Amino acid sequence: MTNLPLLSLLIGLPLLGAFVLGMGQLKEQARTLAIGLSTLQLGILGYLFTAFDKSSGIFQFNESHNWFSISLGSMGSFMSKYTLGVDGLSISLILLTGLITWVALWNSTEIKEKLGAYYALVLLLNASLMGCFLVKDLFLFYVFFEFMLLPMYFLIGIWGGPRRNYASLKFFIYTLVGSLFILIVMLGMGLAYVDPYETALLNGLIRPEQGFNMDALKAVQLMIQSQELATSSLVHSFDMQALMDYNNCQITSILHPSSGWLLGGLSAREWGFWLLFIGFAIKLPMVPLHTWLPDAHVEAPTPISVLLAGVLLKIGAYGWLRITIPFFLPEALTAAPILAGLGALSIIYGAYNALAMRDLKKLVAYSSVSHMGFVLLGIAAFTAEGWQGAIFQTISHGILSALLFLLVGVLYSRTGDREIDSYSGIVTLMPRFTVISGIAIFASLGLPGFSGFIGEFFSLMGAFTSPFLHPGFAIIGALGLLLGAGYLLWTFQKIYLGKLYLKNTDWSLPDLNKLEMISLFGLGIISILLGIYPGLLFELSEKFVTTLLK
Amino acid sequence: MGLNLLFLGVLLLPWASALLVAIFPKPILSISLSALFSLSAIYFCAQASVDFKIAYTWFQLGGQEINASFWANTSAQLVLGLVAFVSFCVQLFSKSYLAKDPSIGRYYLYLHLFVGAMTLLVLTDSILLFYGAWELVGAGSYLLISFWHEKPQGTQAAKKAFLINRFGDIALLFGLIGLGLHFNTWQFSAMHGIAPTLIGIAIITGGIAKSAQFPLMSWLPDAMEGPTPASALIHAATMVAAGVFVGVRVFDITSPETHLFMGIIGAISFLSGAIFAIFQNDIKKTLAYSTISQLGLMWMGMGSDASLFHLLTHGIFKAGLFLAAGAVIHTVHSQSLNDMGGLRKKAPVAAFAYLIFGAGLMGLPLTGGFYSKESIAGYLYSTEQFELLGVLGVGMVLTSFYISRQFYLIFMGPVKEGSSEKNTALNLPIRLLIIASLSIWFSLHPFEMRSYAFLTIYHIPTFWLYITAGTWISGITAAYFTRNWIPSGNYQFLPRFWPSLFNLIRWKSRSALVFETQFIDRFVNGIAGLQVIIAHLLAWVDRHLVDGILVGGSASLSAGTGKLLSRWQSAKVQNYWTMIIVTFALFLLYALFIK
Repeated sequence: MTNLPLLSLLIGLPLLGAFVLGMGQLKEQARTLAIGLSTLQLGILGYLFTAFDKSSGIFQFNESHNWFSISLGSMGSFMSKYTLGVDGLSISLILLTGLITWVALWNSTEIKEKLGAYYALVLLLNASLMGCFLVKDLFLFYVFFEFMLLPMYFLIGIWGGPRRNYASLKFFIYTLVGSLFILIVMLGMGLAYVDPYETALLNGLIRPEQGFNMDALKAVQLMIQSQELATSSLVHSFDMQALMDYNNCQITSILHPSSGWLLGGLSAREWGFWLLFIGFAIKLPMVPLHTWLPDAHVEAPTPISVLLAGVLLKIGAYGWLRITIPFFLPEALTAAPILAGLGALSIIYGAYNALAMRDLKKLVAYSSVSHMGFVLLGIAAFTAEGWQGAIFQTISHGILSALLFLLVGVLYSRTGDREIDSYSGIVTLMPRFTVISGIAIFASLGLPGFSGFIGEFFSLMGAFTSPFLHPGFAIIGALGLLLGAGYLLWTFQKIYLGKLYLKNTDWSLPDLNKLEMISLFGLGIISILLGIYPGLLFELSEKFVTTLLK
Repeated sequence: MGLNLLFLGVLLLPWASALLVAIFPKPILSISLSALFSLSAIYFCAQASVDFKIAYTWFQLGGQEINASFWANTSAQLVLGLVAFVSFCVQLFSKSYLAKDPSIGRYYLYLHLFVGAMTLLVLTDSILLFYGAWELVGAGSYLLISFWHEKPQGTQAAKKAFLINRFGDIALLFGLIGLGLHFNTWQFSAMHGIAPTLIGIAIITGGIAKSAQFPLMSWLPDAMEGPTPASALIHAATMVAAGVFVGVRVFDITSPETHLFMGIIGAISFLSGAIFAIFQNDIKKTLAYSTISQLGLMWMGMGSDASLFHLLTHGIFKAGLFLAAGAVIHTVHSQSLNDMGGLRKKAPVAAFAYLIFGAGLMGLPLTGGFYSKESIAGYLYSTEQFELLGVLGVGMVLTSFYISRQFYLIFMGPVKEGSSEKNTALNLPIRLLIIASLSIWFSLHPFEMRSYAFLTIYHIPTFWLYITAGTWISGITAAYFTRNWIPSGNYQFLPRFWPSLFNLIRWKSRSALVFETQFIDRFVNGIAGLQVIIAHLLAWVDRHLVDGILVGGSASLSAGTGKLLSRWQSAKVQNYWTMIIVTFALFLLYALFIK
């Protein structure tokens, strides 16, 4: 089992499925095939989870192949590698991706037309998401990151609601702008930074069979810094490991910390940080770069909303923790108060907007903005508690937002109406649905015993105790808990409790069917499990956090 | 080892019971589970040492271990005993009180959840778990208040209770984190020293919300929309007492200024609660304000042993009062005092119970309430807080006044309504509580009580006894004479304040929406639109200028020149000759005249 390229399989299986379905031959079996492949993927993920060594802080299950190499003449040469690996940050996210895709596929029964294309695109989306979380090469990451837009654009644009064209285009353009920023920084860094290992190999400083140790690394870095090596003999790469260490940066580059280059009062490294930050902030989404989200959610069909909120948004947080912050750690530290401010703003602003919403799906979308704000607040703390809280909140929100969107989907599939005012007292018609909705609502407002509490508690605590932040940020953020309880309980009371009222008396509201029961209660139970024993996630990311913060 | 196992059982039994009751919604099962819980909890309290500690590893975070640690010290054991006893009485009472309700199983489920949260709150030593249990208690209260979900007032009240409590929770959260940072530990039991006043006040703010103290008091009277036995449990004996309990937990580690803050808040609540209790028309609302008032009294005791003692005696007699009120409501099917009168004949047990519990509330001798109230007075006297002692004296007049007024109106005078039915199941728990509220459990002497190892009793000179007697007499007689012409509506302190605040926030949230759609969205769309305009402009430029003039122009220019030039290349010899001649002529002209 271990000899198999498991991580490649995680990406390859859905890709293969998408290809087969894309041929357009298997319309009838599309659903079965997609769910089958997704189940297989879950199986591999389960194995990875059990085999993952929590006590080591490095990448595991590594795969590495050379991809391409170009000579840049006097600037040396450039190579990109197909490198995959899993560490404490990505393991939980790939698990989440597998799980949420699986749930979304099962709950795609509302999709009635162009089945082959639909399932092919979902599988494609899954493959590119997996790719994003698994790759260790920035160039490859960018490829997957960009590629994700394509299936999402079509999934919203074809199977979406009435304003699907507007929403899908808005989503596309927003994300494209974000990835443009990432591209700029990526190209700049690729040229400025040198891959020490490949350079050493090329210049005969080490032999291939000899491992690369700290001493050799230091020696090569010294040579790069002192410009001992001719620029034509340097090897550039997009290896994230190499880009993390500014000692690999050529001293002549404006990205070198000693460079005095300024543009608009910001150094090149600060520009790099902010561009990367904004690029991922659009994905999170962070206020004020969030307006694509409500539109996309409202127009997207239920399973796509589930995927969007459950996994896609998480790439924003992942990008920060994997790319933005490790690449520009000193710049990130000085920006911590601004980040915390933006996080607190997202929390409050998102919650306020959610309170104003009459469309249930929009309400959940804005609550996503608010909840993801806790992630930013936790990250801005730069403490172990804050980061663990942020990572935990990322996963927890993935599960809870999937749950909430599924709940909205249950109502919408029965009536085609998402207005909160159209319903009242449906507990009498749908008692089971009310029970699970109550659980979901209390879980999202951060009740202890559910996963949301742990994520929010530790994000806030991290921000409150952080040496880089004023405690006021955490206090402002905590007001989001109050507003969150406000809009969630108001919704619960309005729709579920009270006297029975339906806007249209013809509506029939049968209680949950078996499939809905299993997926909804399953997600609820996962949330409770994580809330009671948060160590399940904390121990995965413990090493990652402590190593990076050192 | 056996004790540790028993402890774990006590901690987890309510949760397991909730699960069982969810599967088999039978009252009898629930009551037996509750009895088991109560017996094991009380047995545990009897067996455990005064400083019982136990910790389980929970998880690791940033290199430090977070334990699920528990600390059953004396105060925790006393409150646990109270919770166990009252919750059993309430379970027993609920069976016949809610017998006709089809969702009684759900009700019992909520009761177990609530008791589980309360047990955790009382026993835990860890800040994180304490906060968690604190919020869970609030959620349990939400569920119980909104139990009759078709009643809009009930769900409104539940939401209000939860939101006001959440506000306090946030203050408590930062207070607890601050406490943890200050002492650099996650365990209450490992904290020694005095925390800064600000931290203390943050924690106390959490307590203010939970105990419904001034100015966060208004959720408690509203919460009376819930089932009466649930009110007896959560709004008399346990949940609201949690606010006092947190004061007890941090009493030793908070500054005198924090204690003074508690005392002042307590004094305001004690008096205002008592005043509002006088003017209520609803039997339960009087009791709710009375609870606010009595909790204020405990807060005047500032978390000392005296306030803990009063927490115990009050928990019993107030739960008893609520259950007796429940029996009265069961008889007349109304909560309004207008429908009641002369009920001593119809509901004799309830009348007797009201008498005893009312005596406890006033603090008459032979009840436990007497000792605890005297002990608070003693504490205030010994710490020389004479202003608060004066407040206590005034408050006692008011207390005697409102409770005896209520007693006259309900049980004396002419009969108005009500069918008498003998209901032993309702009366049994009331009898249990009557026995528990008597003074003999603490001391055989009617006026004197000595300190126990686990409970310090504060004494006060005899002059105070005469003052107390004076307050009783004046309160009772004044109530007798004025009982019928006291204007009674269900007056509230700023009744519209919280709803309007909530509406204001909702209304304000519209402006966020407006900002969103009018500003951010418009801005983004504007940028996008600008791009489209630029694109059209460029397209026009492209078509008309670049394509039309530059490209097209240059094309026609070259076409024209080509035409012109092509004429010359007509392959006619004479044309070539002409060209050669003209060129030559020009050359000649240049050579001859210009040079």
